[in-house]
Amino acid sequence: MKLNKRSMTHYALSDSPADHTGFLRTWGGPGTAPTSSGAGRRYWFVLKGNLLFSFENRESRTPLSLVVLEGCTVELAEAPVPEEFAFAIRFDAPGVHPHLLAADGQVAQEAWVKALSRASFGYMRLVVRELESQLQDARQSLALHRCVSQKCVASCSKPRTADRSAPGPENGYFLPRDRNPNGSVEERGSRPMGRDLTEWELQGPASLLLSRGQSPVSPETSCFSTLHDWYGKEIMELRRGWQQRAKGSQPESKQQDRP
Amino acid sequence: MRYNEKELQALSRQPAEMAAELGMRGPKKGSVAKRRLVKLVVNFLFYFRPDEAEPLGALLLERCIVAQEEPGGFSISFVEDLSRKYHFECCSQEQCQEWMEALRRARNEIRKMTGKDPLEQFGISEEARFQLNSLPTTHGRTACIGSQLDVLD
Repeated sequence: MKLNKRSMTHYALSDSPADHTGFLRTWGGPGTAPTSSGAGRRYWFVLKGNLLFSFENRESRTPLSLVVLEGCTVELAEAPVPEEFAFAIRFDAPGVHPHLLAADGQVAQEAWVKALSRASFGYMRLVVRELESQLQDARQSLALHRCVSQKCVASCSKPRTADRSAPGPENGYFLPRDRNPNGSVEERGSRPMGRDLTEWELQGPASLLLSRGQSPVSPETSCFSTLHDWYGKEIMELRRGWQQRAKGSQPESKQQDRP
Repeated sequence: MRYNEKELQALSRQPAEMAAELGMRGPKKGSVAKRRLVKLVVNFLFYFRPDEAEPLGALLLERCIVAQEEPGGFSISFVEDLSRKYHFECCSQEQCQEWMEALRRARNEIRKMTGKDPLEQFGISEEARFQLNSLPTTHGRTACIGSQLDVLD
């Protein structure tokens, strides 16, 4: 395979900062002849991005070798001689032998393994994807908190993290997306408060939210205050009923707290 | 400089950011344009004879300069010798534009050129470097933090 070796050399030697450098011992790397003692040859290694270059020494102007760090894993390894601080770069691809390397000490070994593991574009894609989803979560939570703080009185303190996956009914405030939001609430009017409210809660507030032009399934709009209004109405009706029955002599316990 | 040919061959088989058959002309004087399957994988540009499985060659794209040539054509050269140009012929200016943008992004060096680490704002330490790979494309490939990357260009 033809390579633009001159450009590669130029890049290796350029003053662009390397991601990691240091002396490492190597066995059987490309073109490395074994030493008589089997101790491994000591070269100066330079990591730039996903490219690992080796040089005879720090002053050398010609790289000895190049390893492209994509599709590989880096792990601690046994060296051919009893040797500490060894690690290997292994490739998935068939017929590609692992590169065996050893550092001078544990700190160096750990630093190299970490640096090499993160060197690939593949690793960075994972990091970026993870960050994007965290960013999305953070945005949703922020929007939700804004909504809550704008509209509500103090007692609402229940933090609600936006669930990335489909919200389940056990989380009382989120509605399953396929659920019919216009469930009839009147049928459930006799259901006592405080007991197994989940399903009831799901039906009631949804229609209220929809009637106010708010989406019942968006975390930003299922605000405490809207739900509070809903429960408040039901309470008021019940209270009226009690008052009528008791003719004003019964103590009232208007439930204001959210379960 | 020694390298493992099989490592590079394996890399050339990885999913590509861009791949197309283009006309390609080497930097040597008097070279003729030939049809080549050109494949961009991370920061390497592989080129194949259209009917072959193994690449003829690869260009590392660090420190490369991508320039528009004639309409529908672009060239890649390197800072250390600007006169040596690899020429590519596309079927349209649109395709040419797509390739030029993709090639300019395909580098480790982007961060270092701008001097800022886009991941810093997320509290990712220096050692977890940022490498530029795929941006949202019309081919529906993996999107990155596209809006952050726009800042870099």
